[in-house]
Parts: sequence; C-alpha cells; structure tokens
Amino acid sequence: MSELAYDTSSRDVVSHRQRLGSQPIDLLRPLLKLLPGIILLLFWQWASGRLIREIYVSKPSAVAQRLYELFSSGEIYPHLWTTGQELVVGYVIGVAGGVISGYALGRSPRLARIFEPYVMAFYGVPKIALAPLFIIWFGIGMASKVALAAIMVFFLVFYNVFAGVRSVDRELINLMLVMGASQRQLTYHVFLPAAAPFVMLGMRLAIPYSVIGVIVGEFTSSTQGLGLFIHEASSTYDPAGVFAGIVILLAFVTIANFFAGRLERRLLRWRSLSGAGPIDI
Amino acid sequence: MRVLDEISFEVNRGEFVAVIGPSGCGKSTLLQMATGLLIPTRGAVRHRGQKVTSINTKVGFVPQQAQLFPWKTLGQNVELPLLLRGVAAAERSARVSTALELVGLKGFERHYPSQLSGGMQKRGSIARTMIYRPDIVLMDEPFGALDAQTRMVMQSDLQKLSLEVGATVVFVTHDITEAVLLADHVVVLSQRPSKLLANVRINLRRPRNMFEPVRNPGFDAAYNAVWTEFRSQLDAGQVH
Repeated sequence: MSELAYDTSSRDVVSHRQRLGSQPIDLLRPLLKLLPGIILLLFWQWASGRLIREIYVSKPSAVAQRLYELFSSGEIYPHLWTTGQELVVGYVIGVAGGVISGYALGRSPRLARIFEPYVMAFYGVPKIALAPLFIIWFGIGMASKVALAAIMVFFLVFYNVFAGVRSVDRELINLMLVMGASQRQLTYHVFLPAAAPFVMLGMRLAIPYSVIGVIVGEFTSSTQGLGLFIHEASSTYDPAGVFAGIVILLAFVTIANFFAGRLERRLLRWRSLSGAGPIDI
Repeated sequence: MRVLDEISFEVNRGEFVAVIGPSGCGKSTLLQMATGLLIPTRGAVRHRGQKVTSINTKVGFVPQQAQLFPWKTLGQNVELPLLLRGVAAAERSARVSTALELVGLKGFERHYPSQLSGGMQKRGSIARTMIYRPDIVLMDEPFGALDAQTRMVMQSDLQKLSLEVGATVVFVTHDITEAVLLADHVVVLSQRPSKLLANVRINLRRPRNMFEPVRNPGFDAAYNAVWTEFRSQLDAGQVH
C-alpha cells in the first residue's frame, strides 16, 4: 500500500527532473508503462483454450464482449448504482468519523490515553470476519455494506490523522501562543494544515479498502450490487462475467485514485514545490 | 528538579542583553519563563513591573530553528502574528513589506520556506517576530544552526536591525564572542542549578565590526572580562 502512495505523490518531482534531461524518454514512458499490461492481455488471450480451459479463465475478448452486453442491455446499471451508493456513503462516513475522532484524540492527550488501547484492539479485529454479523445487525440492504466500508475506512483514516496531529512540534504551538493565537486559530493555522498530508494519505489508502468492504458485504448477502453480480457469475460458471465485474471495480478504484491525487496536489501544493517526499507512517 | 536558582537581572528598554552559560544550564528555561509558557515555582518574572502569570503576548520569541510554517508562503508567515491580532488587511500588507525589506527578503513574499536557504528562513523568522513590535525580543541561540559565514552576516544584520528599530533583546547563546559583540550586557550563568555569576557591561562603540572581532577597540578587554567569569566553571571541572 505504501509503495502505491509513494509512487503517485512523487511523480511531480520525478517529471520535473526528467524535463531537464532527454525528451524522448518522456514520450516513451507511458508506452513503457502500458507494455506489461498489453503483454499480459495478449498472453491471456493466447493461453485461453490452449494452455488452460476457457471455462476456467475466460479470455479478454470475451470479457470485453460481456462488458459491452452488460452496458448496452442496461443489465449492469442497477448493480452499479447500488454499489456506487454504498461505496460513496460508506467512504464518506468512514473518512468523516476518522478525521473527527483522530483529530479529537490527537489534540487531547487525556482522551488519547483512555481510548487509544480500545481503538488499537479493534484495529486488530479482521473487519471481514464481521460481515455476517453486520448483515444480521443492519439487514441485507445497503446499510450493512455501508457499515462495512465505513469501518474499514475509519481505522485507516483515524490512525493517519491521529499521527498527523500528534506530530506537530510543541515549539511551533508555543510560538503561536506567544504570537497571540487563540485555540481556534491554533486549529485553523497549525493543526489542520499539519494534519492535511496525513488526512490525504489516509483517504487515498482507504479507497481500495472501501471497495473490499462493500464487495465482501455483497458477497455475504445482498439483493443487488456488483458483488452480488460477481458472486452469481462465478456460481453459474460464467468467468467472463466475473472478470467483467472485476474490470468495473478496477475502473472505479482507478478513477477514485485519480481524483484523490488531483485533490492532494491541490491541497498540498507547498509540498510538491519543496520536492519533499510524502510522509508514510 | 531545581534548574534555576538565585538569578536576578533587569533588562532596560532598548538594551541588548546576552545570556551565556554552559550547555544544559537552563538558558532556554529562563526564556520560557520570560514568555510565560513556564511559571517559576518560586520567584517571579516581571514585565513593566507586572508579574507574568500567563502567556505574555507582548514579547516576541525567536526559536533555535526558524520554525516557519511550511504550508504558508514567507509573506503569509510574516503576516501571521498580525492576522492573529486582528490587524486590518491593508495595514498588514504594508507592514509585511516593510518587515521583509528590513531583513533583506524583499521579493520573496510568495516563496515557500522550503524554497529558501537556512539564513533566509532565519531572517523570515526574525521578521515574523519583529512585525508585531514586541516589547522584548527573546532569542534562543538563533544562529546556532547556521554556518560560520551566514552567522557573521546575520549577527551584523541583527545589530543593524536592533539599532534601527530600537529593539530590546534578550539573546541566549553559548558563544562568548557572539555575546560580547552583540550585547550591552552579558549575563553569565553557572552550571545547574544555575546561578548568576556575573552581569558584565560591554562598552564597545557601535556599530561594531562583526566580521573581525579584534578590530573593535577594547574587544580583548571585554572578552576577557566575560571569559574570566566563564572560566571559573571550567576550573571547577563542571563543564561538559
């Protein structure tokens, strides 16, 4: 996970350096990046039916065909809509909860002393194992999936924000107090900007986790959603359908990551200018 | 633990007082008490005759590291104290440009601290403190982390600046030459529990030559006066 985080946010710096050097490399780089993917797809297409039976692995052309059918017939839209809602709502709740409680515990050493061991203990619980319980508690509708996604996102964001707020130099705070800052001004001018890189990192790391939460929830029990669609496809020996569902999820994560990266570069302009690497916990 | 003991000295308006002492003798603690961030268990800090009992926002503090906010531009950093104090926007921007010009950083308003050198960051830090015209500027080994050349330039500029604005400064350092060159009074502290060893008056003519200390008439005598007091700590074998 952290390698992924490192790669996306250091890209700015690398490209600056590259600009000084040779131009052709700049043009070749996207191609070079696509190459392994293309090779993999070609190999898959070739091997399917030759090395492995198609019923096990399907093949890229069949998956593309299936995707086209799903969208043109409109069969996939209700599933997309349900899963999309669950993802967005779960993610937003998890991030909001994580930021608020991480911030509160980071600011108050007394609260942190009381609650940190509990949060730590719950952090260790494999949230996936809670899926059946969540279905019992929140029903087989959207609420249980939202809850699963939210709880997975929450812990990631919580720990990042908690660490971010605690990392603020005590001397900086003293300096602000002597300059005449109120608690509210401290929050606005010091703690929030200091925590911002950590919030962004947590938010980015949390994207795939929210997907895992929702899909596992839908696998366990649901009436609609991409998870259910994939589950049904696999239980009816339809590998093309399974892969089509996975491709859609992949696209979703990629798009979300793209927007998170854009947001991060905008909010943390001061860091990309300095060329400083991201802070990984 | 008792860190400071029987220390008493006064700083008059417009005076430059240097505090020197062996490392770990509580110089920084002394400054923290002056800001009101620490309240002494016995005794008192008085500011204009008033006992300091809470954070004293009438003083300014320049820390060891520049401590500029990395997410604010230099201009925003220097502007911050005025913003916190509710100064109107027009006056803020006027005072920011004056302050930056005073420390020789004109034209760097929109730079982020990470784009500035160590010396420039330090100048920014000093400008940020000077901008709200504090009654006293407390400096905690501000040039300790700079290289030798930058340091001399900064000392020279600080002298010029403090003469220009008539600032009252308490300057903590462990460098005798720096103390003698900059200060009107040098307060010498002993090992922990730290006591006041001497309060030496430095009568060198201003402006002083920061680059060639010995060119200042009377520098040797002034240095020796401070060194004699300081040496007693070495003789006692207590300096580490």
